[in-house]
Amino acid sequence: MSNEIVMPKLSDTMEEGKILRWLKHPGDAVHHGDALAEVETDKADMVMEAFDEGVLAEIRLKEGETAKVGTVIAILRPAGAGAEASAPNGGGSVEPKPAEVVSAETKEPEEATAIPSSGPRLAPIRAAGAARKRRGAEANGENRPPRSTPRAIGRSEAADEEPAEPAKGTIAGKVEPPPPEFHPALSAVRSAGPTAIPAPPARDLTVATPVSDVPAPSGEAGKLRASPLARRAAEEAGIDIAHIRGSGPDGRITKRDVDNFIREQQLFKFRRLIAPREGMPGTREELSKMRKTIAHRMAQSKREIPHFYVTVEVDMEEAVKLKRSLEATELFEEDITYNDIIVKATALALSRYTRMNASYEDDGIVIYPHINIGMAVAVEDGLIVPVIHECEHLTLPEIARAAHRLVNKAAHGGFTSEDLSGATFTISNMGMLNVEHFAAVIVPPQAGILAVSAIKDRPVVRNGQLAIGKTMMMTVACDHRIIDGVVGARFLNEVKRFLENPASLLV
Amino acid sequence: MANSKYDLVVIGSGPGGYVAAIRASQLKMRVAVVERDLPGGVCLNWGCIPSKALLNSAEMMEAIRGASAEHGIATGEITFDFKRVIARSRAAADKLSKGVRFLLRKNKVDYFEANASIAGPNTVALAPVAGKPAPPAEALAAERILLAAGSGERLLPGMKIGDGVMTSREALVNDRLPASIVIIGAGAIGAEFGYFYQAFGAKVTIVELEKQMLPGFDAEIAEELRKNFVKRGVNVMLGHGYKSLARNGSGWQVALAAAGKAATVEAEAVLVAVGRGPLSRELGLDCVGIEADRAGYLKIDDSFRTTCPSIYAIGDVARPPLLAHKASAEGVAAVEIMAGVREPGFDLMNIPGCIYCEPEVACVGLSEAQARERGIEVKVGKFPFRANGKAVAVNQTEGFVKIVASKQYSEVLGCQIIGHHATDLISEIVLGRTLETTTLELGRSVHPHPTLSESIMEAALAAEGEAINF
Repeated sequence: MSNEIVMPKLSDTMEEGKILRWLKHPGDAVHHGDALAEVETDKADMVMEAFDEGVLAEIRLKEGETAKVGTVIAILRPAGAGAEASAPNGGGSVEPKPAEVVSAETKEPEEATAIPSSGPRLAPIRAAGAARKRRGAEANGENRPPRSTPRAIGRSEAADEEPAEPAKGTIAGKVEPPPPEFHPALSAVRSAGPTAIPAPPARDLTVATPVSDVPAPSGEAGKLRASPLARRAAEEAGIDIAHIRGSGPDGRITKRDVDNFIREQQLFKFRRLIAPREGMPGTREELSKMRKTIAHRMAQSKREIPHFYVTVEVDMEEAVKLKRSLEATELFEEDITYNDIIVKATALALSRYTRMNASYEDDGIVIYPHINIGMAVAVEDGLIVPVIHECEHLTLPEIARAAHRLVNKAAHGGFTSEDLSGATFTISNMGMLNVEHFAAVIVPPQAGILAVSAIKDRPVVRNGQLAIGKTMMMTVACDHRIIDGVVGARFLNEVKRFLENPASLLV
Repeated sequence: MANSKYDLVVIGSGPGGYVAAIRASQLKMRVAVVERDLPGGVCLNWGCIPSKALLNSAEMMEAIRGASAEHGIATGEITFDFKRVIARSRAAADKLSKGVRFLLRKNKVDYFEANASIAGPNTVALAPVAGKPAPPAEALAAERILLAAGSGERLLPGMKIGDGVMTSREALVNDRLPASIVIIGAGAIGAEFGYFYQAFGAKVTIVELEKQMLPGFDAEIAEELRKNFVKRGVNVMLGHGYKSLARNGSGWQVALAAAGKAATVEAEAVLVAVGRGPLSRELGLDCVGIEADRAGYLKIDDSFRTTCPSIYAIGDVARPPLLAHKASAEGVAAVEIMAGVREPGFDLMNIPGCIYCEPEVACVGLSEAQARERGIEVKVGKFPFRANGKAVAVNQTEGFVKIVASKQYSEVLGCQIIGHHATDLISEIVLGRTLETTTLELGRSVHPHPTLSESIMEAALAAEGEAINF
């Protein structure tokens, strides 16, 4: 009696998922809520959590490997069940007995059977504050249990509004024999949702883990290939050799792989040691996936990109007037925000300074044909950067509409992968936070980021007279590998020129 | 055609060069080999192959000599034609050299007979070899150059070849058996020629500066070999340094020094077997700034690249040990790394070393002493051939197998064998080490009975204190 855990479908567009790391290993006891594995999807890295108790009997998808949604990736068997329970597809032959199906969510008996077989039910937490919209996994994999039906999808969605809680009471009531069915259902309540920062190249998305990519027992026969010496060394070091990635022919594990594994583990321990120590005041929080991604990408940016900064003060008097007059006339469907005005001005300047709309590569500079402007949006413990695509073709009201739509999604969820990827330049606007001035960190592989501060009443000189004007500080950070000071300064002054002559933005 | 650019030009057609060239051709490179002597290099023409042919004749002599006493087979007076012995070895070398030429042609490798030198990072200059037709081109353009120039015989100060003073090269074609010979150096070459000349009845003296034969080898193995040589009637003078060489009538007097005391030995001929050195000087290294160490070995990185990025080096010209099979393996590795089908790096710790005198000597990995020097706790399993059924049956009971394993994991760190067919037996250990085998697997693998190879199994068991037959 075992349950097949299948690759869950985590988003509308998800077709396959990659196991970044198994957090449980064969033989490990699994309790409700335990993190089973980290899964990389097209949108985000997710943590799959177990809904059920049992023992992880078998892992079928190795770390680093990718499988289509619905493919069986692991087998969970009830604690105390015999070894035969772990036989492949062992659970498939068991006729489900509706009365024993464990689910508090069951509302209609005929759908109850679908639940256990519906595979992991996961929901990426989208931007903080976003509504959780769960999708049931489509059990369309080759290895799905026979009882699985397409109705599972509908059922899972129906259950969305309820907390993902298996009927523990039902289990508790049954002491002997163990419950016949265990839900492979999983949740992703700890996931960070969409990748925090749009990253056109997928290569940097994976957060490095201290444990190397681990193969499960490889090969058809499931026979693990390792040299006798490696086996012996692993055994003496108390390491399960299945956790080690082999570097030999066909992934054969050699002594060196064991040595490297041990060294990595020690290094990991060491890193932990130099992290906040026991006894020191302070609480330790696990990093969310979003935080990890932000940490990784920002560190990479500062490590690799030589930043330089240029700041100008922009007279926003005319822009303020423009915004007010547009509001007063209610000409457009959406209110035009300062942010929209800045996006439009930036897009115009970028179309003239194409080097700012580019990426550095080791052997060249990629100039992008389209101007896709990302806007950093704060969410709970993190930020996301939705993207307005092809700004060069958009009028100010079109930009306003696109921005409005994205802001809505940030609040309520529903981003598509396109919404969060493909930015060629980013604007970070902290105007609403009343800052005087700040500089931002470039999002790799972009070449620049514009940091926009608050519009404030400041003394200005007009016609030789001191007056009170509305001004705004703007700082652009540039990748010095492809942009020099002159270009950065000219670009920024171009943005300033458009903002100070905002009629041009309506053309 | 000669002027169009090659993907790879290999200098030297020895076991390193020709194997690398063929592998490169298999990997779709356009390849040329430049050789100043004969295809196959020293190994085929002046080393491994002809010397093994001579040793085979020597073994034959010993067997026939032993036939009467041991087997009751009467032979009458044994005579031999030394010229035929030498000629047979030349025929073997010629046959294989022609085979190399054929293999190169078959693999579409262009072959140039010329003196090669580096004229630039991508240019190999060709100069005529004395007495041979001029090469069809003065230079070859090459994307990459592989130096596989090999090594040459070393001499000591004051030595001059001729009038009975030989290196292995002269000895291989010397068809007049000397009545007596002094061999300076008790390394692999000295031991093999010592055995050979002794078998054919010459009075042999082997002089060695070090305190043991086969310097660098396991001391126990070396001592076993010394005893064996002494038993055969060879005069082995250890700890004797060479001083000078003087003509003495029709022969030579060799002046020696041992612990401050002078000594002399006289003989009709002298064989200088004091090792070999890399042939790097004439390659034009300065032209492109290739660095070499003081001994002349070229500096290479993990990818066999010299300090000039387009030029690679393998085999004897790159680094010790000076062994044909090491050169071949390096040649294949270098070319595969160039082609991007292999990761950089090469394990020098699993190169077997073999000596083909009787009894044969073979070893791989660490000796007991070397392992201890590295601070590894070891267990040693030893098994003598006199306890092996097959060895007794064929009356080849000399020697033993010694396996050095780590105490921690029973990892097979090394193995030394002295005895009949030792050089064939060692391959099991080489494979075992490649697969990271421990003594447990060696001990549990069923070996056919009766064979000499059972001694490997028994030695592995002995390392665990579980040998059955000893």
